[in-house]
Amino acid sequence: MTSRRIPEKYFRRAATVFGLGAVLLAGSFSSGAADSSVRLQLDVSKAGPRAVESETEQVILRDYRSAWTSIAQALEVNTLDRLEGPFVGVAKKELEDRISNQRRTGLSSHYLDQNHKVQAVFYAPEGDVIELHDTAEYQLQVMDGNKSIHDEHVVTHYVVLMNPAADRWVIRQLQAVPQF
Amino acid sequence: MRTGWLICVLWVVCLAGLGAAQELRVPASASAGEEATISTTGSGKATFYLLGPGVANKSEVSLGEEIHLRSQDLRSAGDYLAIVCGETCRSSSFYVTAAQPAGLTFLVHPSRVPAGLGEAITGVALPFDQFHNLVPDPVVVNFHLTAGNASLLSRAVRTQNGVAWFRTNSGKSAGKLEVVATLGTVSASRAVQQVAADPCNLRIKGQRTPKGIVVETDPVRDCSGNPVPDGTIVTFSAAGADGRSTVDAPIKQGVARAQIEASGPQVISVASGVVMRNELRVGGQP
Repeated sequence: MTSRRIPEKYFRRAATVFGLGAVLLAGSFSSGAADSSVRLQLDVSKAGPRAVESETEQVILRDYRSAWTSIAQALEVNTLDRLEGPFVGVAKKELEDRISNQRRTGLSSHYLDQNHKVQAVFYAPEGDVIELHDTAEYQLQVMDGNKSIHDEHVVTHYVVLMNPAADRWVIRQLQAVPQF
Repeated sequence: MRTGWLICVLWVVCLAGLGAAQELRVPASASAGEEATISTTGSGKATFYLLGPGVANKSEVSLGEEIHLRSQDLRSAGDYLAIVCGETCRSSSFYVTAAQPAGLTFLVHPSRVPAGLGEAITGVALPFDQFHNLVPDPVVVNFHLTAGNASLLSRAVRTQNGVAWFRTNSGKSAGKLEVVATLGTVSASRAVQQVAADPCNLRIKGQRTPKGIVVETDPVRDCSGNPVPDGTIVTFSAAGADGRSTVDAPIKQGVARAQIEASGPQVISVASGVVMRNELRVGGQP
């Protein structure tokens, strides 16, 4: 049996491929962990006429946070698939149009360091719609290609309507207002 | 010394002039679906960006001229960001508010309700403009509930956070209940079917036959007098010396009828849902 010596250049290539793979893997983990960068507090104590059940509160918290993670990812890389699930109706249409237009014009928007203080102000008697008031703070960066054209700390008030769907609460309306 | 001051002042003025070269003034307020203008200062060409709900536009503009925002770019209520980039980038944001209400989302529950039930019907109305923006400013929504020619409820409710709602009792009579929400010239209508509630005052009569005992209810009605629908199950129970037997019978044409096979004296009772009524004693077979 003869042993063949593997040339050093193959080792280098293998190391490069392994290194790239590790970087890509780390990147995918970090994008998955983007969820944790959305800080969110939900207060349901003033919701009415129906009281928000504890389980419902937790699910709304989870789904609303997830929706903002999706918004950030979708507007950063201009992809529509992130909108499937968390959004329906007008909210989905507006985000789709925004992304389509960003693609066309070469723009991208980055929502960084999100902090949401959310209050439930209305929960329908039959539990089929909830209205949230979200005071959202984030760093908004707008890029034209690789050029930064805007970078600002933003505080925005959002009126949000959510409905229960088959396996989650979905956002039907996400409308910024000057004040509550 | 004076010359030095003059140079300093001129320098500051030049700096201020440069700083103002790309100022932009956005509308103080804009209504959804209406055109608006942004005024700019300075001179030369620049790139104008408009970002908002559903919008991400980019165009070339001449500084010092007004930038016209098309109505179709301002259909969605929300915050918009205007950016002008020449040598440097300047930005300003403004809000577009919802237009006048043009439609109502009206959720009514349930679609089918027993008659005479307390706080059984709820309705939630949300006003939207023609571009599907929620109208958060307070408006008055009128709720009307009518069954036949009878008005069950007429209530004016002011929206709070863009929502008006009511909760009320169902009517006494079975049949269609029309629920209407009106806001100015806009209205939305829903139908609720009121059905008889649980049977009330069940009464039975019976007689012995060669094969046993035939028992029959009086016409079964709810407490408001509405006939209970056919198919509702009535349970007859007979207790005697030889044990206890039970027969379920559906209501047909308003009454429930059953034959119980028993020979000795029997005490027969009847029940439907949670209602249990009079006992009937039937003697033994001669």
